[in-house]
Amino acid sequence: MLQKTDSNATGFVVAALGLFFIGGLLTTVAPPLLDKSWNKPFKNSDPAKGPTGKLVGYTEQEMRGYHIYVREGCKYCHTQQVRTLASDVKRSGWKGVDAPVSTPDEFVYDWRQTFGTKRTGPDLARVGGKYNKQWHAAHFRNPRDLVPGSIMPPFPWIADNPQELDDLVAYLQTRGRAKDWRPDNDYEK
Amino acid sequence: MAVQPTLASAPVAAGQDIHQDTTVKMFLLGAVGYFAIVGVIALIIAAKFVWPEFLGTISYFTYGRMRPLHVNGMLFGWLLAADMGLAYYIVPRLCGVRLWSEKLGVATSILWNIIIVSAIVSLLGGYQKGLEYADLPTPVAVLVVIAWVMFGVNIFGTIATRKYQQMYVSTWYLMGTILWTAFVYLTGNFATLLPGITGVNQANLTWMYTHNAVGLIFTPAGLAVAYYFIPRASNTPLFSHKLSMIGFWSLAFVYVWTGAHHMIHGPISQWLQTISIVFSVMLLIPVWAVVYNFIATMKGQWHQLGDNVSLKFLMSGTVFYLLTCFQGPMHSLRSVNAIVSKTDWIPGHAHMAVLGTFSFMAMAGVYYVIPRVFKTTLHSETLANWSFWLFLIGGLGMFTALWLGGFWQGWQWNNPAIPFIDTVVALKPVWMVRFLSGIMIFGGIVLFMFNIISTAIGAGQRQAIPQPVAVKA
Repeated sequence: MLQKTDSNATGFVVAALGLFFIGGLLTTVAPPLLDKSWNKPFKNSDPAKGPTGKLVGYTEQEMRGYHIYVREGCKYCHTQQVRTLASDVKRSGWKGVDAPVSTPDEFVYDWRQTFGTKRTGPDLARVGGKYNKQWHAAHFRNPRDLVPGSIMPPFPWIADNPQELDDLVAYLQTRGRAKDWRPDNDYEK
Repeated sequence: MAVQPTLASAPVAAGQDIHQDTTVKMFLLGAVGYFAIVGVIALIIAAKFVWPEFLGTISYFTYGRMRPLHVNGMLFGWLLAADMGLAYYIVPRLCGVRLWSEKLGVATSILWNIIIVSAIVSLLGGYQKGLEYADLPTPVAVLVVIAWVMFGVNIFGTIATRKYQQMYVSTWYLMGTILWTAFVYLTGNFATLLPGITGVNQANLTWMYTHNAVGLIFTPAGLAVAYYFIPRASNTPLFSHKLSMIGFWSLAFVYVWTGAHHMIHGPISQWLQTISIVFSVMLLIPVWAVVYNFIATMKGQWHQLGDNVSLKFLMSGTVFYLLTCFQGPMHSLRSVNAIVSKTDWIPGHAHMAVLGTFSFMAMAGVYYVIPRVFKTTLHSETLANWSFWLFLIGGLGMFTALWLGGFWQGWQWNNPAIPFIDTVVALKPVWMVRFLSGIMIFGGIVLFMFNIISTAIGAGQRQAIPQPVAVKA
């Protein structure tokens, strides 16, 4: 067969697309059918099975903040996934408590996936509730005021716009909150 | 045994004058121009790592908007446009006929320029779709699809009317590029937006697209260019037709399975991660088949590298291809991934693929084609040589700085006792080296652009390159 394809354009097209579709369909269409956790929102009330909690949809304000996160390309420097690595679990932890590992069912309402490929700044998968709004406002104005050595750009056009700042902070405070992982529920607002 | 369609057996001299090449000229000159424009953006974002306040208070020039512009500008404005321009040159010559429709080609080129300009405006305005590599807003993505269909019709139309029955390996790779790109692009830009596609499902479709944007768009297009120009520039027949078939069909089968290796250890099904790792390792087969073929073609011809800039670019691109495609499968192994994933190693790897390998091959093609389509000689061989060394030394500086820095960063991350900000501060010297290497690369781009444009403008004042003579296979 291979010997003939180099003079048979139609045969070539069929073979090239056929091979492509075998792998393409099996790795994109099949997985969500086989693994239900991709589409079923997280819900757990049994502490024996790990962290409890429930994934809820975004409010209108949180969704506006989500759009700002996408508009400014935040995901190019911040990942949103606590990987199954001990160091990720520790680094995304807070005040001595380890963060739960991210699972597919925590991202079901994410209209734009924000897992990211590059971690220039810290991971944001569990940032929700760690810092209050005043902290975020000052940090967006000039990150180096709060974190010396940081290379995050300043975002004065957000810090100076109360509506956008509120929206974006509302979105950030949802990150990682489907799982109630703080022992004393000590989330900042 | 069937007659092997060696490149050199195609009667070039006879068919040389039938080609009009207007589309080739428009695509290549446009691509070279965008290379320089997007090069400025590349330098700006490299500078932002060193001076985070630089252009920092203007929303249009913030890092998160300029990075997608850098990526999309280089991928679509420069590299894909250059590969398309070279395809418009290669395919009619391999088929022994004129381009199916020169008017359609010119229209495609005009549409492509509209796409790139709209992309620049919309990305800086923050109108990004929010999906990596598929950042262009949907209306612009629709234009890309239209342009791609116009390109495909023209190339397939040319192939359908070909005079030489047997197709050389470059023709297959270009046909593969056209077919696969169509589906890969639709997956990344449109299937991801279907209702109900969210979270991990959307991410999996995005990685299928981003990975295959490199693997099934730029790889086959770049290899088509290299398979054509290595024998052409060295005036030597290709080492093995059979080996090129093994390389092609294994690429066609293996590449598409590997998307999930972008989320190893992440929130995606373990078995899918394992599948992607197995197929990533199998990628060594197509890569080594191709590289061996290129190296063996050059056997006894290496002395030609000394005074042949196109060959210099092609063969260093081949070495970078071997290296980048050794790194890729290794990154997918869980133990290696735990160190290098998400670090600065990865941009080092990505730049070796897109700049070191495929841009080098495209530049070799442009240096070869532009004097020929303008029926003149290159403006300056000396400047071309300078551009090569600037690219090579700047590129190596950037790649190695990012690998060493990224590896170090990964080790630091794996020790949670080190605060994250310390791992940022530790990399500042690395980002400075990257910026300085970037200046060298940009110098190379400027010399390349100047040389190509001067060749086009000065055409007619110099003697044309003698027509290539057919070599006995």
